[in-house]
Amino acid sequence: CHTSGMLTPNGKEYAQKIPREELTHVILKLLQAWKEPLSHFNQYIEHHQELPDDSLSKAKQISNMVRELKTGVEKIWNSTAQRSDTSVVFCSSIFKVCCMCSTGLSISNEANMMSDSDFIHCFRRDSNKVQSYLKILKCRIMPENSC
Amino acid sequence: MKQRFISSVQIMLQLALTTVGLTGQSYPGKPQIVRCRSQEKETFSCWWKPGSDGGLPNNYTLFYRKDSEEKIYECPDYLTSGPNSCYFDKNHTNPWTTYIITVTATNEIGSNSSDPQHVDVTSIVQPDAPVNLSLETNTSANLSYLWAKWSPPSLADASSNSHVYRYELRLKPEEKEEWETVSVGMQTHYEVSSLKAGVKYVVQVRCMLDLGEWSEWSSERSIQISKEQLPPEKPVIIKCRSPEKETFTCWWKPASDGGLLTKHTLFYSKEGEEKVYECPDYKTAGPNSCYFDKKHTSFWTIYNITVRATNEMGSNVSDPHYVDVTYIVQPDPPVNITLELKKSIKRKPYLVLTWSPPPLADVRSGWLTLEYELQLKPEEGEEWETIFVGQQTHCKMFSLNPGKRYIVQIHCKPDHHGLWSEWSPEMYIEIPTDFRVKDMVVWIIVGVLSSLICLIMSWIMIMKGYRMMAFILPPVPGPKIKGIDTHLLEAGKSEELLSALGCHGFPPTSDCEELLIEYLEVEDSEDQQLMPRHDTPSKNTKIMLKETDSDSGRGSCDSPSFLPVKCRESRSLPSVDVRAKEKKGGKASWDTRCTASEQKTLPCESIKTCTWLAAQLPSNQAAMFAYHSTVEAFKITLNTTNVNNSPVLVGNEENRQSLYPIAETVYDVVEKVREMEYAKTDQTTVQVRQNEHSNKSPFLNPKLMDYVEVHKVRQDEKPTVLLKHKENSGKTKKCTVPGTSKEYTKVSTVVDHHILVLLPDQRSQNTPESQEPVAETSRNPQQSQAEKNTSYSTTTPSDSRRDASGSDYMDPSSFMPSFK
Repeated sequence: CHTSGMLTPNGKEYAQKIPREELTHVILKLLQAWKEPLSHFNQYIEHHQELPDDSLSKAKQISNMVRELKTGVEKIWNSTAQRSDTSVVFCSSIFKVCCMCSTGLSISNEANMMSDSDFIHCFRRDSNKVQSYLKILKCRIMPENSC
Repeated sequence: MKQRFISSVQIMLQLALTTVGLTGQSYPGKPQIVRCRSQEKETFSCWWKPGSDGGLPNNYTLFYRKDSEEKIYECPDYLTSGPNSCYFDKNHTNPWTTYIITVTATNEIGSNSSDPQHVDVTSIVQPDAPVNLSLETNTSANLSYLWAKWSPPSLADASSNSHVYRYELRLKPEEKEEWETVSVGMQTHYEVSSLKAGVKYVVQVRCMLDLGEWSEWSSERSIQISKEQLPPEKPVIIKCRSPEKETFTCWWKPASDGGLLTKHTLFYSKEGEEKVYECPDYKTAGPNSCYFDKKHTSFWTIYNITVRATNEMGSNVSDPHYVDVTYIVQPDPPVNITLELKKSIKRKPYLVLTWSPPPLADVRSGWLTLEYELQLKPEEGEEWETIFVGQQTHCKMFSLNPGKRYIVQIHCKPDHHGLWSEWSPEMYIEIPTDFRVKDMVVWIIVGVLSSLICLIMSWIMIMKGYRMMAFILPPVPGPKIKGIDTHLLEAGKSEELLSALGCHGFPPTSDCEELLIEYLEVEDSEDQQLMPRHDTPSKNTKIMLKETDSDSGRGSCDSPSFLPVKCRESRSLPSVDVRAKEKKGGKASWDTRCTASEQKTLPCESIKTCTWLAAQLPSNQAAMFAYHSTVEAFKITLNTTNVNNSPVLVGNEENRQSLYPIAETVYDVVEKVREMEYAKTDQTTVQVRQNEHSNKSPFLNPKLMDYVEVHKVRQDEKPTVLLKHKENSGKTKKCTVPGTSKEYTKVSTVVDHHILVLLPDQRSQNTPESQEPVAETSRNPQQSQAEKNTSYSTTTPSDSRRDASGSDYMDPSSFMPSFK
């Protein structure tokens, strides 16, 4: 997967240890990383039209959802972080690594190389990651009934 | 003598027999020699079987002799070979002679000997079986050998060990039946080569001397031939599961080993890494499993897991199993399931089911989010109904029937890819039936009441069938024609009737009066007839009056028949005598009454509606105003507000000569239908209403003070009697004079709204009378009682004339009580 290189917390302890901003940033990075590949994918399946219609609509739906999610997380990020520009010097407190992270520009090439099955597989995994991180984030920000 | 001997013998026999019979003892049974064996040709033993012992302890002795000799010897050794045996040692054994052996059993009573047995030592030689058989296997170069070893049988006499046995061996696979026998020779070991691997064999050995027979087979020995030694087969990884998304475990199925010890090892590698690790923990999760704890668990990476089985011959590796821990999460079932019964607003109870997530799952931090699902069925039901509840940990169940038992189960699953947990243990629900006593009581009351009502209704229907029918479907009234006199009808003088009516040839009609009656004239004359007068010009009435006057038995002392006559016609009682001016509505009621009265076939006595006030007074009668005690029924009281003079209901006792007007009361028209109690004394009452209105005044002819008009003021079907006052009470007291002068009686008061108290003649009034106040007072029975004697009334109800139907008048005389 093109996102394999990202440093993401790999377990519950890690995810709970890192500060909220980092977690938000990780989520945001993941979402941003998928923006391009999704659009490419949509174009691809539209042209080829091999998949049945409901799959097409589903794919579009997913793309929209990811976009919206990204927007939402961006808002969270902007509210928590003082920086609004996308290019961030991001230091992971756990991995003690600093990196200059720009928003997924470098990844797009890799994304084009993926096969369909890999694409879906990677997307599934990353969406699961995002979901888990978001849940942890939610329970941290708003520890209410469901947590 | 002989006889004596015989008898003595017999006696002895008998004694013996009785002894036997008494004690049950006898001489012993015959023993039997079972066998004789020689182990090594130098010694031999014989065994016998005892016979019946005859109830006493037996001694066994063995005697033998050699066939070439005559001497009998006894057994040298009873012990060595065991009980019931005899052992001949070397010194006593001669292989070349034949022994003749006998066993004798002796007891107190007698003895018994076995048959002799001829024993040839050489022919009975049989060694014991070999002993100490041991087996070994040896597998080399894919061939399996069986190595068997044994020892010769042991002898009683250890000295002679130099016998040479020949051996035989047999073996078979354990499951098979057929033996494979191998002759071994004289050695005490043997090697078997043609064996199948993996089979368990059973081996036995026996021996023989050069003479005699083979020994018995030795006891069995078995041995397993190990299989061909192969490397193990491939193990298989069954599943990997994570119960809480933090650790996971993998299980495999071991390879079938060929009898050799097989060891399994698990290796894994992570996606993107080359390094291969071994399972960190083989024990925590049980046999054939590997447990990965938190440190070794990484998410969103694919593990490549393999298991290797190793044994002496080699090893084998399972197929790789790729697993991403995120997708293999299967939580434990939910715990802490509680039920709570709550009552909703509408008082129908519902159930609230609550549970908690499994303890290991970390729901609080949001790491693992669970979704729940319920499964419900009635206890006797077949199918489960599944209810998806989502992430909430409670569920309100409204659709349960009270009184029924249900079974409910819950399970959960991670909200993302994952597996459903096991179902929680069954939970039984039973909602208590909300038996509200109130409801039941209400229903019971309703039921009882309705049944009562039905009963009453049916009873009423039965009893008053007629009346009901009449009420519902009133019979068509016959035509009532004015001026018809029932007497005439009775008399059969139809001509007169018709002429009275003024229409000839008119068929006589029924007597029900449909004419309106204005007033009643109470005559003070002999005939004392109440003559109703009509509004409608009816000159005929006069005529009729006269005629009727002549006809009727005037109110004389001796006209007892009047009453009965009048009584005869019991139909249409009320209206007959009383013509009341009815209002519009009243007419119907009259009719009704008429009809009702018509329906009645009452004896005269029972007419309630007949009310009479009869003034009686034949001179020769004492205390004329004797009235029957039944008078009370016959009272008419008038509410006489207009009466200014103190009315008094008095009989003229003094003046006997005078005829007192007999106020004839008016029949009450049929009372309300309800009053059907004819059995009672006639309670005919007449509602007498004082005509207070001025418009009624015309009726109140001052002259005719004594007129009593029956006037119907109200619609209530009560005929009212208007009092006509007569100034001059020109009452002639003629008893027998059938004068035309009419006598009128003043009505004094109306008591109790329905009793008309008539005034006696004022002139002759000197007796005080109580004047009841206007009406309201209840009927003063006392007063009336007092007045009864002085009041006028008809005597017998029977006399009272009820119906007078259709007639224009009443003959007061008819009311005359039978003073006589």
